[in-house]
Amino acid sequence: MSGDPLCALLPWTALRGAVFFQFVISKPNRAECALLIVGHGSTVNPDSSAPTWAHADAIRRWGLFAEVHAAFWKEEPSLRQVLYGIESREIYVVPNFISEGYFTQKVIPRELGLPLEGLGRGPVILPDGRTLRYCEPVGSHRRMTEVLLRRASEVAPGVPSAEVSLLIVGHGTDLNDNSAVAAKEQVRRIRAMGLYAEVLAAYMDEAPRIEDWATLATQRRVIVVPFFVSDGLHSYQDIPERLGLEPGPARSLAPERSDVFRNNPHLIQGRELYYASAIGTEPLFAEVILDQVTAFEERCA
Amino acid sequence: MGKEGTLREAFGAWLARGGNRIGEVAIRRSDSWEGYVLTHWEETDRASLPLKHFSTPGDARLLAQLDDAGRYRPLKTAPNLRHGWLLELKTLDELYSALDFFYPAALGVGAAFADHRLPVVPLRETLDRQSGMYAVTRKISDAKADMVVEACCSSQGGCLKTILWELKPGHPFAGLPPEKFDPDRDQLAAEAGQNAFPLLCNEACNLLVAAIRKAVKKTE
Repeated sequence: MSGDPLCALLPWTALRGAVFFQFVISKPNRAECALLIVGHGSTVNPDSSAPTWAHADAIRRWGLFAEVHAAFWKEEPSLRQVLYGIESREIYVVPNFISEGYFTQKVIPRELGLPLEGLGRGPVILPDGRTLRYCEPVGSHRRMTEVLLRRASEVAPGVPSAEVSLLIVGHGTDLNDNSAVAAKEQVRRIRAMGLYAEVLAAYMDEAPRIEDWATLATQRRVIVVPFFVSDGLHSYQDIPERLGLEPGPARSLAPERSDVFRNNPHLIQGRELYYASAIGTEPLFAEVILDQVTAFEERCA
Repeated sequence: MGKEGTLREAFGAWLARGGNRIGEVAIRRSDSWEGYVLTHWEETDRASLPLKHFSTPGDARLLAQLDDAGRYRPLKTAPNLRHGWLLELKTLDELYSALDFFYPAALGVGAAFADHRLPVVPLRETLDRQSGMYAVTRKISDAKADMVVEACCSSQGGCLKTILWELKPGHPFAGLPPEKFDPDRDQLAAEAGQNAFPLLCNEACNLLVAAIRKAVKKTE
């Protein structure tokens, strides 16, 4: 910490016996900081946390931070305990979620013992004197568009995009979740680039629905990218079933070996359908996690 | 304070005092080289066993993921760590990282407890702050909560952590033996030896909260 001017000084409510203060401090040296990536996790599906661990491993190998940790809502280490294992005085937290919503705005801050409002505006001082910077979720970053385009091009190599309907598949109508809004925003951006013949969104729980894909998409070649942070029941079974594909296993410890992702293109309803695994498994996600750290620094500079 | 900070130093000091186990993981110095050898505590006599060898801290995360039957282990302190492996690690840093994968956050929590800076949260406080699908858990009766804790947290088949919290201050649980709440007692079988790093539970986990939700829903 340096003696930079305090741009804002806001008292927070007493929480867990301590008073929080938020103020702008100079940008710390990342090599002396910890990075904590927060995922949802699952008590039934080991694949749920796999991408978060993979991104943490990648960033750890790059050697940019003193420590890189992961924590989860439904797995261990829990959000309530992970901070005891972090030694750095400065901690960046990046939620590995597809959009802002219930988890990023309520559950994660509460479980980490943070104030519920104003978190993204500046660093927060923890009761033990450490500084925590709560970044926006990875899915909110503008580079998510690049990640989607990368995944779409990887799943259908050599296929001219000008002859393709690109379908971005989201959950829709999640409680307090903006995943559908995030998917729509990606559709708007990619559409504006004019790369694909058409770009569409479809959802599991609201219209336009995934099962109507053949009506929605006008091109013979269709690429479907699930806009989820990890593979699981939705990408293995629910979405393939709605597309009319043979669903994969309920869960797999080796998603890349799952036939539903491997047997592209699927020839169905007179179309060539290319089905990608969840966007969150894309290795580029790790870079976007770092971009969210940078975005926090720029926003609070 | 970075990678070589006080947590690793404290853990190194515990090892130097003769620490040789955490949960179901046995730790020993290598006989033939500078490093550490980890096995399941029931398989420390490797000469008689065909163990599969591993050599990186990251392997610990995979070893901890599934039980002997290949089932997912959402709770890493459940007494069902798989058998048949041997993990060789070169440095204290690697050892620390591997154990942090076997028992996530346990080393940090144990160090905080030793430094008298680990807050303990009563179950009622944990339930009262839940929201969304778990908000209903605050409706559980004291008696029912006692039963769910007994069923989920028992060291015999449930969880190897020592519980530090009560239902609410001054209201301990009745269904589990007193040693389940004694931080000086290791929860594994007595024959496992007592030079173990403590596995401590300072607050109910999400698995218990989910089980309480199920119990409340069942009675509604």
